[in-house]
Amino acid sequence: MLETVKTLCALSGASGYEDDVRNYVLERVMPHADKITTDSMGNLIVSKKGKVQGSRKVMLCAHMDEVALIITGIDDDGYLHFDYLGGIDRRVIIGKRVYIGKNRTLGVVGIKAYHLVDKDEEKTVPKREDMYIDIGAKNREDAKSLVSLGDPVVFEDGIEEFGDGFIKAKALDDRVGCAALIELIESELPCDCIFVFTVQEEVGTRGAKVAANTVMPDCAIVLEGTTAADLPEVPEGKRICRLGYGLVIPFMDKGTIYSRSLYKTITELADKNEIKWQTKTMIAGGTDASAVQRSGIGVDTIAISAPLRNIHSPSSVAKISDFEEMPRLATLLLGKLAAE
Amino acid sequence: MELKQIIFELCDLASPSGFEEGAFGRISELLEPFVDEIKTDAMGNLIAAKKCGKSGAKKLMLDAHMDEIGLIITDIDKSGFLRFSNLGGVDPRMLPARELKILTDPPVFGVIDTMPPHALESGDSDKSIDAKKLYIDVGLSEEEAKRRIPLGTPAVFATGCKCLTENVICGKSLDDRACVSIIIKAMEMLKDADLDVDVYCLISTQEELGMRGAVTGTFSIDPDCAIAIDVTHASTPDSKKGETMEMRAGAAIGVGPNMNQNITSKLFEVAKEKNIPFQTEVMGGSSGTNGWVIQVSREGVSTAVLSLPIKYMHTPVETMDIEDASAVANLVAEFVKTLGKEDM
Repeated sequence: MLETVKTLCALSGASGYEDDVRNYVLERVMPHADKITTDSMGNLIVSKKGKVQGSRKVMLCAHMDEVALIITGIDDDGYLHFDYLGGIDRRVIIGKRVYIGKNRTLGVVGIKAYHLVDKDEEKTVPKREDMYIDIGAKNREDAKSLVSLGDPVVFEDGIEEFGDGFIKAKALDDRVGCAALIELIESELPCDCIFVFTVQEEVGTRGAKVAANTVMPDCAIVLEGTTAADLPEVPEGKRICRLGYGLVIPFMDKGTIYSRSLYKTITELADKNEIKWQTKTMIAGGTDASAVQRSGIGVDTIAISAPLRNIHSPSSVAKISDFEEMPRLATLLLGKLAAE
Repeated sequence: MELKQIIFELCDLASPSGFEEGAFGRISELLEPFVDEIKTDAMGNLIAAKKCGKSGAKKLMLDAHMDEIGLIITDIDKSGFLRFSNLGGVDPRMLPARELKILTDPPVFGVIDTMPPHALESGDSDKSIDAKKLYIDVGLSEEEAKRRIPLGTPAVFATGCKCLTENVICGKSLDDRACVSIIIKAMEMLKDADLDVDVYCLISTQEELGMRGAVTGTFSIDPDCAIAIDVTHASTPDSKKGETMEMRAGAAIGVGPNMNQNITSKLFEVAKEKNIPFQTEVMGGSSGTNGWVIQVSREGVSTAVLSLPIKYMHTPVETMDIEDASAVANLVAEFVKTLGKEDM
């Protein structure tokens, strides 16, 4: 699974521009799937039969898109202006390198040299509209030959394994979920399942909304990367979840109160099978569950998440042992659902 | 070797102020074919000499510093996170989510962690975070971190050089490894030249902590005249006009009290005569380069300051144009060739 995560994280998949990720996933799942469709939004919907049909229609989903930027302007001197695709704390993009558009033009988010910054300025962060991307262009015409308005911008894609089983990469949110789905599709399933690789989660769970309408599941499992704030300056009660303490099974986040019965079932399964798990200790973040749960006549929904530090930054960090258990826990839950 | 290749190779080395042994070896290797001797001193400076073999020859010194800004580990907390101080001028605003190479053997990778946006209060993103409140995540327990990373271990940015366009290079420590590369290139150009002066290269240490290496290096070389070669600010959309030079406008020749007029005017003459692109950088006080301490070494050294314009100085993404670097290298080489006894 680790190798799949690395491959997926290196791909560009800004919200609304998930093509590269979808193409890769398609290639991987094609030999194992019974039916594959792509809808108008770009969601990839993959059906695969299991040992039994199951009494309830089960959908598993993970989102392909990552937080990113989008080019909104090119100035006379050839510098680019941008807006966000998804929630970004602009402090994490200062002085970072990025890839722009289909041709992957390399650029850098510039900042005035420290020597030229006064004391007051040092305490503030440039506004987004005053920030810019430098692609080494000489002027507007030169820049226009390399990039276009509307080009998506993703972070540089260096991947590092470090410390005691940690990995650093962009887009771990939610390529860990996508990798888990691929693992599941490649395995023998306890029951028939429909897998959805969704688009546009980061701009408001927009892919999942229509995918759920297409699939019309009875129950759904959302595989995600979630916010960990287990940092020294953060008091215990605000850490949300912690790396190295296993998968995160939330009872609630900003978008969803998860199915109480599924929460009970899955946490009991984790305990019984000695899979480390934790829940969120603060109501923060949201997942595709918010869209799926309230689709159609309503869907029984649960999430399994991997804790991530520096989420929504070019340098997200995960503990490998946390996310590696994701397919196993999902399979156990599918086994339970198959037996219903 | 192509200048660009030298720059890429030298900038990827880890050589924070006070810990320049990471760059010393490779710079020596690259200079060696073009000089007669290489030595070091107590401050770790690299001093290379090319003698012209003429009796009574005067000494010209070319200086560029091999140190880069960095961080130094000051404490390890009970969760295994590292606290740090700065080596040189580090803007805390570009530290969140920053990747680092901690210089143990083998090096340890680390990331400066940041609060997730989901847990921020409104307005938090408008305020920079004091470096004292930041810490490095190395993915190790307290015990393991303490075992592997002694206090006092330095760290550098983990950003290698990349090209934005064919000519535009972006990476860490162009300040001042790009100018070290320029000196190497200039010495290569002078390899077979018949010179009237002895040329000394001072590849100095600890410039970022206050030009410390150049103090002893210059004293030891005792030059008659010197050129400090360093980077200067190129204009960016957020800099004020008049505060900066232009990228792609050639070598910046310093003018002001820190720069002696005799040697500076000769630089202008050579640039004009050889059609080497140049721009004039006027500095009222200190040039902010080693030139400041070189000029007042011993009984005084006739000093010029030549600068390479770069953008985003002291970030991991310093950006320059290779054409400017070639202009500086050409100007240095042509200048040395025309230099005779009467010029000093």
